[in-house]
Amino acid sequence: MNNRKIILTGLIPALLLVLVFTYYPFLRGIIMAFQEYKLFNLSHVHFIGIDNFKNAFQDPKFIMALQNSAYWVFCSLILQFLFGLTLALMLKKKFRGRGIYQGLVFYSWALSGFLIGMIWKWMFNSQIGVINDLLLRFGFIQERIGFLSEQKWAMMSVIIANVWYGVAFFAIMLLAALQSVPSELYEAAEMDGAGGVRRLWNITLPYIKPTIISTLMLRAIWIFNDPSLIYGLTNGGPAGSTHILSSLMLEHIIYGGDYGAASAIGIIMIVILLLYTIFFLSVTKAEKAGEF
Amino acid sequence: MRLKKMKAITLLLSAVLTVGLIAGCGGKQESDKVTIRMIESLTSPKRTELIQAMLDKFQEDNPKIKVELISPPFDQADNKIRTMLGSKEEIDILEVRDLNVAEFVNNGYIEPLNAYTDKWSDFATVSAVSKSVGTVGGKLYFLPNGLYQRQMFYRADWFKELGLNPPTTWEELYETAKKLTDPSKNRFGFSFRGGAGSNGTTDSMILAYNGDKVNLEDSMFTKDGATIYSTPEAKAAMELYLKLYKDASPPDSINWGFQEQVQAFTSGVTGILLQDPDVIQSLQEKMEEGTWATAPLQTGPTGKALFAAGGAGWGMSSKSKHKEEAWKLIEYLSSPEVNTKFSKDYGLIPLHTTATEDEYFKTGPYKTLIDMSDKPDTFVNYKPAFEYPGNGQWGQVAMETGQALLLNKATLDETLKKWDSYWTEQKASLKQ
Repeated sequence: MNNRKIILTGLIPALLLVLVFTYYPFLRGIIMAFQEYKLFNLSHVHFIGIDNFKNAFQDPKFIMALQNSAYWVFCSLILQFLFGLTLALMLKKKFRGRGIYQGLVFYSWALSGFLIGMIWKWMFNSQIGVINDLLLRFGFIQERIGFLSEQKWAMMSVIIANVWYGVAFFAIMLLAALQSVPSELYEAAEMDGAGGVRRLWNITLPYIKPTIISTLMLRAIWIFNDPSLIYGLTNGGPAGSTHILSSLMLEHIIYGGDYGAASAIGIIMIVILLLYTIFFLSVTKAEKAGEF
Repeated sequence: MRLKKMKAITLLLSAVLTVGLIAGCGGKQESDKVTIRMIESLTSPKRTELIQAMLDKFQEDNPKIKVELISPPFDQADNKIRTMLGSKEEIDILEVRDLNVAEFVNNGYIEPLNAYTDKWSDFATVSAVSKSVGTVGGKLYFLPNGLYQRQMFYRADWFKELGLNPPTTWEELYETAKKLTDPSKNRFGFSFRGGAGSNGTTDSMILAYNGDKVNLEDSMFTKDGATIYSTPEAKAAMELYLKLYKDASPPDSINWGFQEQVQAFTSGVTGILLQDPDVIQSLQEKMEEGTWATAPLQTGPTGKALFAAGGAGWGMSSKSKHKEEAWKLIEYLSSPEVNTKFSKDYGLIPLHTTATEDEYFKTGPYKTLIDMSDKPDTFVNYKPAFEYPGNGQWGQVAMETGQALLLNKATLDETLKKWDSYWTEQKASLKQ
């Protein structure tokens, strides 16, 4: 009879949820980016045009965080992907205790970023950390390294922790894709005399290409947006050298109570992500994924 | 027919879901009892347990009042409190901190307590420092549940080994720390803190060096109205600070916060730690008795040490519908008996002056703090700049610019200039 009405009524709870918890905060964020909105003085909220954006681009910390973000996303993503793919290829073959082994390898993905930050902070500690201790014992170094206190090491150290965190994600996703590759293809290729590398290049990779593309895109967005690891590890230090955009945004909220400045950074981040997504999709769309 | 039924069920379900989602998170109300909602800020499992025990006792004595305690994780607590106050959620009692009391007052979130304390007999013994911590613009907004005050902890065994005495001035502290330092043994004199909270060291050195010049009521400024960072004394203090880091502290400590600073001391890497009494318990747990001891804060060249007692305490929401009951609970928690027990159990300086007569505070690590308060000419109490909007961010600004200075990315003059202009701007924005 009136199917449309039923469907619409059924959709209301879901629509409400999305509106209230996704789009309302988003709109509010856009508005706040153009306001002076400070927790200390909520009775004095008013529009100030594009001042928040101007201030952001004039702040050397913001420029540094922008550069760091690029470096952070690129290095973390590539290394996570390469290690994740290697791990997935290694776990593809069946062997005794594979399930348990997979669980052990993948568990890092289940930890919170903040917790991982705390763990790595202690491991990187130069006086009482395990990494320095091991390096000293095995004679690789003579003097302790301040991984988180020297600017030349800090960003690299944070990226190492992030790679450790994210490898499991790629391994899980790619392994699932690998297991869907029909084994007849490999048999046929073997009969035609294709070697291991050839099979990887001509069968495996093209077949799992859709998964590779979507995981790379998603993961890049997550890495870009997630401040928890940096917040737990260095809190942006030393001297702001490990801030990325999202951790800088967090700092404006937690220490400054300045929601206007934070929202402006948030908007800039959304624009960057939009551009990235458009670019990424148009580049990868050239060849239709999955066909060979 | 079937379709109609289905339609009815769908409608019913979606209605239930929608209403449930919107209203489901609200609490239930019992008719004969008054429910007081209370939220704490400086949460830790042990502390929550102690507070809950006090509340249980209170509810036993007052069967008509039910107390609901909310304990968010420490890192999110203050934001949670802000959000709840901002969205006008029902909260009766909240833990207000020295660093956010001005913000809450400014936004009209909390109620002055003077009308209540006027009728409270035990108010007479509340210490002057406690009152000053909870006061904004002449009105009392919260009663501290205990005070934090910095003192020195040192490795008594290392000092004995080298025949050293606990330093009494910052200059001596540097000399002593330098003697204790031996990087080849991974041993350093000073538990430096260059990360979050680094301004605890820089500001107290600069204040001690400025000494009598400081306006105690407006402590980021001198009596002449200039910032404390603009004086030659500030430069002398910071020169010593740089030497303290370079000659007597672990290089890694440039990024250390509270945990690393304390951990380095308890694990035998550093010999001198400046901290609040809440670390006493963990020192007692992790270190052998006799290996550590306490001493008063260091003075500057003028023979004065400026200190600020910090604290958090119970305040009342201005939107509370049960103010009488809320006050009853605050009064109970702040009574000499209950508060002194809490201070002992958690390691704080009690709210009432009468508590210091307790044997417990006359011996052991707390003794130093009491000794300090007996010499008000040497150890001068000042009021931190909590009424400035930028005070919350100051820690972060001082940390980042301070780290740049330690990394030789900025000169001392440039750094002090930045600090000076930060506070000059703060002053200007306050006057508007």
